Amino acid sequence: PRPQAKPVPGSSHSESSTMRQRMKDKLKAARSEMGLPTAEEAYNFFTFDFDPEPDEETRKGQKRRTRPEGENEEGEDGGDDDEEKEEEDKEEEEELFLIDQSADDFLVFKRAEYMGYQRRLQSENELLFTPSFLTVPASSKVPENMKPRYLEEEGLYVGERPPMSLTNQNILENRILKQEQGRKWFGDDGRIMALPDPIKESSTRPPLFHIEDDLDPALQTVYRKALVSKHASQYISVGGETNGDYQLDVDVSGLIFSHHPLFSQEHVLGSRLVQLYDQHLSRQHRNLTEHLTTKLNGLRNTIGNMLEVHGGQRLTPVMQQRISEYKQEVRNTRRLRDLEQEKDRTLLKGIVKIWKEIKALRDFQRFTNTPYKLYLRREEVERASDVREYEAEIQAEVDELLDEMEEDYQRKVTEYRRQQEEWKVWRRKQRAKNKKKKKTQSQLDDNEDDEDNDDDDRTDGEAEPGPPKPKPPEEPDMEGVEKQVSEKASRIRRKPGEPILVPELTASGPITPNEQCPRGEFARREDVAKRSIFIKVLYNDKEVSRTDNRSLNSDFRVHFGQIFNLKIVNWPESIKLQVFEVLGLSTTLLADVFVPVPESSILTGSAPSEELVFSSNLRVMFDHEAVGSDVPFSFEVDGSNRQTLLTSGKLSCSVSWAVGEDDVPLAPPTTQPNGLKQLDAIASIGASGLNDMKKLGEWATESRLDPNDPNNADIMQLLKVASSGEVTAPDYFRLEQLQEEFNFVSEEDLEQSRRFRLLRLRNQEVAEFRNYKFVPAMEREVTDKVFEVRSLREIVDTKGHLDAHRALVAKHLHKIRESIINRFLIAKHHFIMSDLVQEEQVPTIGILGLNLFKLAEPKRPLKPQRKERKKVTAQNLSDGDIRLLLNIIRAYDIPVRKPSVKYDTRSSSHVLNTYISGYERVRPFVEVSFQRSVLQTTTADGPNPCWNEDLQLPFSAPNGDYSTANLQSMKDEIFINIFDEVQYELGGDRGKEVHTRLEKHWLGSVKIPFSTIYFQSRIDGTFKVDTPPVLLGYSKERSLASDGGYDAVRSLTEGAFITLFITIEPQLVPGETIREKVSSAWISFESQESEGLLLASEVFERDAAVHFPDRPCLTTVININGKTVFITRYLRPLNPPQELLDAFPNSPQEATDLIARYVSLIPSLPDSVSFAGVCDLWSTCDQFLTLLAGDEEEHAVLLCNYFLSMGKKAWLIIGTAIPEGPTTYVLTYEQNRYLIWNPSSGQYYGQYDTFCPLQTVGCLVSADNVWLNTQAYTSPLRIRFDVTKAKLWKPFFSRAFPNPGLSSVQCITLHIILHLPFPKISLTCRIEKILKEKIMEWRPRNPTRWNRYCTSTLRHFLPKLELSRGRDVADEHRLELQSLLGDYRISGFPLHLPFSEVRPIVEAVYSTGVHNVEASNVEFALAVHVHAYPNNVLSVWVYLASLIRMR
Amino acid sequence: MAELHIIGQIVGASGFPQNSLFCKWGIHTGGAWRLLSGLKEGQTQVDLPSTGDMAYWSHPIDIHYTTKGLQGWPKLHLQVWHQDSFGRCELYGYGYCHVPSSPGHHHVSCVTWRPLGSWQEQIAQTFVGGGPQLRSPDLIYSGADRYRLHTVAMGTVELELGIIMRHFDRYGVES
Repeated sequence: PRPQAKPVPGSSHSESSTMRQRMKDKLKAARSEMGLPTAEEAYNFFTFDFDPEPDEETRKGQKRRTRPEGENEEGEDGGDDDEEKEEEDKEEEEELFLIDQSADDFLVFKRAEYMGYQRRLQSENELLFTPSFLTVPASSKVPENMKPRYLEEEGLYVGERPPMSLTNQNILENRILKQEQGRKWFGDDGRIMALPDPIKESSTRPPLFHIEDDLDPALQTVYRKALVSKHASQYISVGGETNGDYQLDVDVSGLIFSHHPLFSQEHVLGSRLVQLYDQHLSRQHRNLTEHLTTKLNGLRNTIGNMLEVHGGQRLTPVMQQRISEYKQEVRNTRRLRDLEQEKDRTLLKGIVKIWKEIKALRDFQRFTNTPYKLYLRREEVERASDVREYEAEIQAEVDELLDEMEEDYQRKVTEYRRQQEEWKVWRRKQRAKNKKKKKTQSQLDDNEDDEDNDDDDRTDGEAEPGPPKPKPPEEPDMEGVEKQVSEKASRIRRKPGEPILVPELTASGPITPNEQCPRGEFARREDVAKRSIFIKVLYNDKEVSRTDNRSLNSDFRVHFGQIFNLKIVNWPESIKLQVFEVLGLSTTLLADVFVPVPESSILTGSAPSEELVFSSNLRVMFDHEAVGSDVPFSFEVDGSNRQTLLTSGKLSCSVSWAVGEDDVPLAPPTTQPNGLKQLDAIASIGASGLNDMKKLGEWATESRLDPNDPNNADIMQLLKVASSGEVTAPDYFRLEQLQEEFNFVSEEDLEQSRRFRLLRLRNQEVAEFRNYKFVPAMEREVTDKVFEVRSLREIVDTKGHLDAHRALVAKHLHKIRESIINRFLIAKHHFIMSDLVQEEQVPTIGILGLNLFKLAEPKRPLKPQRKERKKVTAQNLSDGDIRLLLNIIRAYDIPVRKPSVKYDTRSSSHVLNTYISGYERVRPFVEVSFQRSVLQTTTADGPNPCWNEDLQLPFSAPNGDYSTANLQSMKDEIFINIFDEVQYELGGDRGKEVHTRLEKHWLGSVKIPFSTIYFQSRIDGTFKVDTPPVLLGYSKERSLASDGGYDAVRSLTEGAFITLFITIEPQLVPGETIREKVSSAWISFESQESEGLLLASEVFERDAAVHFPDRPCLTTVININGKTVFITRYLRPLNPPQELLDAFPNSPQEATDLIARYVSLIPSLPDSVSFAGVCDLWSTCDQFLTLLAGDEEEHAVLLCNYFLSMGKKAWLIIGTAIPEGPTTYVLTYEQNRYLIWNPSSGQYYGQYDTFCPLQTVGCLVSADNVWLNTQAYTSPLRIRFDVTKAKLWKPFFSRAFPNPGLSSVQCITLHIILHLPFPKISLTCRIEKILKEKIMEWRPRNPTRWNRYCTSTLRHFLPKLELSRGRDVADEHRLELQSLLGDYRISGFPLHLPFSEVRPIVEAVYSTGVHNVEASNVEFALAVHVHAYPNNVLSVWVYLASLIRMR
Repeated sequence: MAELHIIGQIVGASGFPQNSLFCKWGIHTGGAWRLLSGLKEGQTQVDLPSTGDMAYWSHPIDIHYTTKGLQGWPKLHLQVWHQDSFGRCELYGYGYCHVPSSPGHHHVSCVTWRPLGSWQEQIAQTFVGGGPQLRSPDLIYSGADRYRLHTVAMGTVELELGIIMRHFDRYGVES
């Protein structure tokens, strides 16, 4: 469809609007019909020619018709029809949206309405009310006929009104008045009612800026630098980090010597005089005598007054009471006054006496050294009045005394009467009783009865306890009193009329100039002038500063006047001032003065200067006039009355905390600061400092506080409570209110719970519960038995200890251990990286290179070498992971069987056989037992067997706890026993059937503690087998057949040896000792050694560790108090017990052996076991002998000291040995050869002995020096012991660093207890009984018979063994036994042990396996002998034998 | 006698400006509580995560308490520290949260804050490290006029806590 006509732009409104209307309708219709138009509809919509309404058709037609004409008229070219059509279409589309063009159609423009100003005012005036700002007259504000009433003037409190401008107020008032009932807004005073000003004086809103000044201390923050944190505990820390703003001021003002070595005699007297005078002055100042006299007079007057007032009348009991109290008081005061007077007088006398002595001395020596002069000022008194007073005083005293005595007497008399009464009653009773008795007893002497009565009475009365017959009190000696009093008065008081003497000391006297003095004095003065003094200030044992040198004056007063400001970061532990004296270039320490660390309230400015007394026991002697120190001298010409003075003096100084810029004390908080806790609890409720409620109340009434004023409400409240008599501020502070009320259970219930107790004990790692695995969930499942172990341990069982002394020692050791462990707890908890992180070492180029070289190495399969194994930390182990590897290689010189004589005769063929075969003489095998598991090797032949066998023993730690500490403290030992396997033929006589029975006979053993293996990680070497001195049936003859070359070398040693290799699989990392840890942690042990020495020793040890890493070097050790002590202090000649020396007066060698044996008899107790994980502790010899237990070091020190006192040259060897590991031996030099002593076994070895257990010599220690081995070798075989060779031994003290003269820590003489505190017989019996019981217990299946005859024989042998110390008796012994017990086959041996307790003895007996004999006809014999050495050292012999009847 | 087990771990922390962090922690209880076993305070290792923002510690907490009453239920307080490349440590945040009081497994995230300090201190902190710390760390769990303290929010510490309660029902505490 084509449109004939198009609406032309600018056509009439109506037409287009209708068309739009229609389109809208159409659209609406379309939308309502189907929502959205289809494509066709849309097209139609835009292209369809809508038919106009019929009535408008004509008009439209006209217009349309006109249009083409217009177009043509305009002359536009018609062109292409199609083109035009498109154009038209477009135009039509545009036209449809031309809405804006029709906006005018809707709007009407109007003129702005305006009301003139005047008109508006007018109209508003009609509507509005404007209150006036003039003051409203008061009359209109108050109700009529009333005057305004001012409450304030009447004295009532009226709150302050909020501020308001007068105009505004007037306006408001005016407005309100216009209102209905406007007056109700006004108060009585005619003003608007107003609440008090609601605005708080202080702002509740947080201030905009941070005001540091008035910030709550708890809220303050501190700016901390980012610092590498060190050991926070050492530093003064608030939040765990350092905070360095603390300052100590040490004011060293001066020094006065009260004695100095350079004092001349006059000085000594002078200083004494000054002391006395000072004392006098201070007494004068206090004036106690005067005070007491006044008091006494006052009291007397009071009593007098009282009696006067009530004179004649009877006194009320209250008054009497008071008077007696007063009298008592008088008595006391008088006594005190007398004492004081006496003191005054003696002091005065003393001063005068010394002054006289000084004068005499000055006269004698003809020169003056001290400027002191004493004047005695006389104060004359009026004689008459003085006498009167004196007499009155005496009279008063006498009266009082008489009174007192009278009273006393009266009291005694009444007492006596009472007692007599009692006694009479008692006697009457007694008499009646006696009469009865007499009658029944004897009727014979009736007539004498009455007469005897009295006597009997007395005797009976004495026999039976009853009240003694009282004695009548003595009459007081009235006459003597007066005499006594006057005597006393003349002694202690100034005589009447005598002038009062007041001493005055001045230092203005002339001193004789130097030139006029004799030579000795001149030399002394020269010496004084040369000397000077300075003071070092040590803070926490570190020198922080020192004063200038001040020369010593002739008056021996030194003034320093220096103040040191110490900025501190560490907690103050000690502040020490050291007084040094300088003479030329050398300085000597005179004394240490310890200054207490001040309280944090002691601040600079207010701190008083203290006078601290110091003294020194340094012995100083001079060849001139000076008296010296610690040197006796005398004032007398004849040298009698000698005196010894020590250097001493007074140091005046003060230590205080500095005050900061804003008056803040720079003191660290006393405890760990907790800002909130420091606040005053009472201060928080606003009543700090108001302690005196009464005063507050008084003040309140005086100042007439308005009780209604809310400002005063707090005070009023307080006063109300105070006046009601109740305590206001409670003296406790309850943190958790109402806690009690809400508790589930009481404290006791919680404590009683066994389960909780168990849990807590486990958590605290108490030894018994440390690895306790499962704690039952139910209370009832926890039995009390669990705790019994613990309680048993706590009470050291005296049962187990046969000896009370040793029980005490055990207890003591336990205590020491606890305390030391506590001390080291901090150090123990200091972990280093390697404790926590296990890192595999990354192979470096070097290692790789080495490995490459190894590939090229020739392979030597016949020479296997042990490889280093990987170490395993202990924490990731469990049961069964660890095994103990033993490689038993060979043994030498094992005792061989001796054919028994009897046996010979019976079957000669057999014996012949053994002799011929030779090697058949012994068939040894080794049995290893550890933790009750036993393994044995195969049997070898001959006295020098070779096994070369590996044994693996399982290992389990107690409680399954594989921590380092636990492993270290394990006390298990590995027993390596050598047995002989003996075959016996049974029934061989009968002929055909031959039974053989195997028996094992114990030959010897080696004990190695597990801790040694743990610390060494492997043990490799040849050990001496501990063989009994006598082995029945065996001889220790060396086989003649053995190679001779070897014999020459081991000529000195006897006995059997065994070569072993022991290790733990996998290798465990041994824990470091505390000391190593400590040194890595820079925590130093306390020490009394000087700093220089400690430093030098540290350097020495470090050097040694760097240059000779495998040589143990020890210069300082830790004593039993945990302090570091220089090692040479332990050595000092000490007398061995005289008894031992006397034993062999002719043979010094024997005596030496005996002493070594004596020392070895003191039981060993490895420190590493007793002080697990702590460190090696050295005790002094007397401690060692008291404890009777110690490590190798203590044994060595004691032995060395004994040797020194015997005049030997002796040294301590610090080295390593097998099996002990790092240990201490003793070296002696006698008869041109060196001997090495093992102190814990008493054995000695020559220097070139191959079997000497000492493997490495690290250093030698003598009483005055330490030498480090700097030779190429460490083995004693290959080194020279000549310490004078500087090339071979590096000394600690050299010319450059001389020995400062260290005093010894040992006592000069050892206290020796010769007598046993208990009978040793009973001990013998008890040990024997216990052992017998044990043996029977170990043989549960077989009966144990004891051969009494044999036992008694053995018992007879034992003392002999002790005497010969187990040597050279075997043969005689055996023969004797054989002859006695011919029918038995005996195998047995004596065991020798030091005695500490029973358990080790039992263990030793068990390990020999004697009880294992299976034969049915076996009998046993057991004898025990205890030999007591001085100091309660006991040696125990146990003789064990098994007998088998041959027939 | 009621018992409480707190078993869990400090998982880690996130949202801190730097991520080489470690944490000091402690448990604060009232007077009625009694520690039966376990450690009630500790410190984690320093974690230096190479990727991601979160520092993981996985630090175990295993505590066994018994109590007389409910008052003073355990609270956990934390301090997060940062260790910089020089090995210096500085405080990065204080945090505090209650141990959950219902049994079961809980994820607890504890937000932390740090004192701001004056502008000089802030500048110093930017350049040389360190930072303001509370004079008394007790403030973390005790009340005072805190509004004067200007703080900055720091990151979050994640905790996983398992709570086991025993016998609380005997005393009328339902759980």
